[in-house]
Amino acid sequence: MERKGRLEMRKTVSVLLMLVMLFALVGCSGGSNGGPSGESEGDLPADLQAIVDRGVLRVGTKVDVPGFGYQNPDTNEVEGMEIDIAKALAKKLLGDESKIETQAVTAQTRGPLLDNNEVDIVIATFTITEERKLSYNFTQPYYTDEIGFLVKKAAGYKDIKDLDGKTIGVAQSATTKAALEEKAKELGISFNFSEYASYPELNAALASGRIDAFSVDKSILLGYVNETSEILDYGFKPQEYGIACKLDNKDLAKYLDDFIGEIKADGTLDSIMEKWNLK
Amino acid sequence: MKDIFTTANMLFVLEGLKMTLYISFVSILLSTLFGTILGVLRSLTGGIFRLLAAAYIEIVRNIPNLLWIYVIFVVFRLKSVEAGVVSFTIFTSAALGEIVRGGLNSVGAGQWEAARSQGFNTFQVLRYVILPQAFRNMIPAIVSQFVTVIKDTSFLWSVIAIQELTGKVTILMGRYFQVGQVFTLYLILALIYFVVNYTLSLLSRRLQQKLTY
Amino acid sequence: MFSSTGPFAWFKWQALFADWQIFAQGFAYTLVVAFSALALALLIGIILGIASCSNIKPLELFSRIYVEFFQNTPLLIQIFFLYNGLPYAGIVLSVTTIGIIGVGMYHGAYIAEVVRSGIGSIAKGQLEAAYSQGFTYWQAMTHIILPQAKTIILPPLTMQAVNLIKNTSVLAVISGADIMFTAKSWSSSNIYYGPAYVVAGLLYFILCYPLANLAKRLEDKVNALPAEAGGKKSRLAKQDVTVGNS
Repeated sequence: MERKGRLEMRKTVSVLLMLVMLFALVGCSGGSNGGPSGESEGDLPADLQAIVDRGVLRVGTKVDVPGFGYQNPDTNEVEGMEIDIAKALAKKLLGDESKIETQAVTAQTRGPLLDNNEVDIVIATFTITEERKLSYNFTQPYYTDEIGFLVKKAAGYKDIKDLDGKTIGVAQSATTKAALEEKAKELGISFNFSEYASYPELNAALASGRIDAFSVDKSILLGYVNETSEILDYGFKPQEYGIACKLDNKDLAKYLDDFIGEIKADGTLDSIMEKWNLK
Repeated sequence: MKDIFTTANMLFVLEGLKMTLYISFVSILLSTLFGTILGVLRSLTGGIFRLLAAAYIEIVRNIPNLLWIYVIFVVFRLKSVEAGVVSFTIFTSAALGEIVRGGLNSVGAGQWEAARSQGFNTFQVLRYVILPQAFRNMIPAIVSQFVTVIKDTSFLWSVIAIQELTGKVTILMGRYFQVGQVFTLYLILALIYFVVNYTLSLLSRRLQQKLTY
Repeated sequence: MFSSTGPFAWFKWQALFADWQIFAQGFAYTLVVAFSALALALLIGIILGIASCSNIKPLELFSRIYVEFFQNTPLLIQIFFLYNGLPYAGIVLSVTTIGIIGVGMYHGAYIAEVVRSGIGSIAKGQLEAAYSQGFTYWQAMTHIILPQAKTIILPPLTMQAVNLIKNTSVLAVISGADIMFTAKSWSSSNIYYGPAYVVAGLLYFILCYPLANLAKRLEDKVNALPAEAGGKKSRLAKQDVTVGNS
């Protein structure tokens, strides 16, 4: 009798399961409609037209890098140089600088967000490298930075060579470590490395003595200087930040590249950089 | 030193807490449903459905959540928050599926016979006799799983930049980066999680006592 | 997705296979941290588990506070504390040490609960009987109670080992050189994240699945036992401690 009960149970459950699977299928097909559907009626290429039709530019930005992309706790708005660039772009493409929709990205997610069409472009301290160009389109650089060192004043370091054998803190997913290793080899010195997930943690590590120097792009270090620390008067390995978009979106890439050229030429970019003390 | 305890900062952190609770609540709700289905499939059916449920549970629960969050974010074309809800639903369903399986096993086989002899059909037996008893036995394990969900949503910031509690506090560290301030912020963070989760555990103990006596 | 521009493009897989040693190192690192942390967690868990059934108020209280604290705050935050907070007090630990201590202490709390429930599932009368035979508390525990509780404790304990292995992935957030970090670090410089995460998932599965399966078989064994030997009767107690929670 118990066995019979279980058999009938199986039937009931089977029916229920069919329903669930049906649900799942419907859900999936609804979700995967993101592909191109050939809707370019205007004179713009399809990838640009899609943004115009939507009426809003979706931008991946940082939210924890003061000066570039930072979610201001007082206003709850994302602000910074990269946001202003996005606004200028929205003004040119959509005629209204407020037509942007920002999405917070991490070094881990900015690639997938582009691949999945969740954002149109990424402006998020994204360093242009040959390797990365295989996966995404990059514009010409809108900002050039170099790697620097933030150290404690009390330690008395003056030059990169004073850091021989010391522990250098770098950010995960950044290009800094490889560059430092190369530089160390060149100078015949060596570094120990410690990688951190975020800049505030790096700064805390420096203050607590866990690392001897905090090494990332100088622009970022600027935000962390205080009365006990200083930036070494030494920099190397210029890093160029570019706007990235999906590899398939060739026309968008061209448009973005021209846009950067324009704002460089007409002084817009300069005034944005001045506004955020990045010059 | 800038003051951390401003109204704006408090509200900022509160926003994060709201996000943490929202994602946890929705995924807990959905996982309870799917987890029950999975548990029932795995312990009461046979053939392909049992196999599928088992495969789902085993694959999902033997790979870290941290990795699932990322994979689901990449594979499904979802906004971050939705990706968060989906990923937590996916692995919490598997965990609850196992808990439900254990709970069903804990209800004696005689109960089936007894209920059926009263004219209940199979679905009714499950709905009115077996599951209520099983769920009562499972309360501690289920609530402990809920606590785990709330705690683990702290991964969402570092993996997919969702501004939940941990995220908001980390962003604050971008402005309040003196060591003492960072330390204070971590303390606040731990305290908030503790209060939420401890309250939840206390409630579950109450609930179980009520149902037992 | 598998096209030459997709996240799973063939050249990305080739890049990964060329760097297989990096992933092997991550795998070995995860193993070392997991084993050491498990040893610590067992030590803490057994001591606190017994302490919480000792009827000695301060011991019970300490054990309670420990368990509640570690179970109700995220492991991630605890790890952050060890990493960024302790140096502030002048204690600088290596990432590996933090991994072992952090994960070990966290799971110690869960194991303490497993042990406590296991002991609780053995009838109270047994302890009294042992006392009447002249056993001390410690003797009664080690000779009478724990050997019986072992069968009931083992399945959830094995599940804890699985959760512990999975949780070592948290180390990736503080650059622990484990599997997760290797995948993250390797893929974020070149953005070949597709293959990297598939391989990482596989490596974790290889470690966890056999253990999870063992836990299930052990549990089925307990369920098959007659009530008197901790089978059916102990099920209520068992529910207290089974599966799930990380």
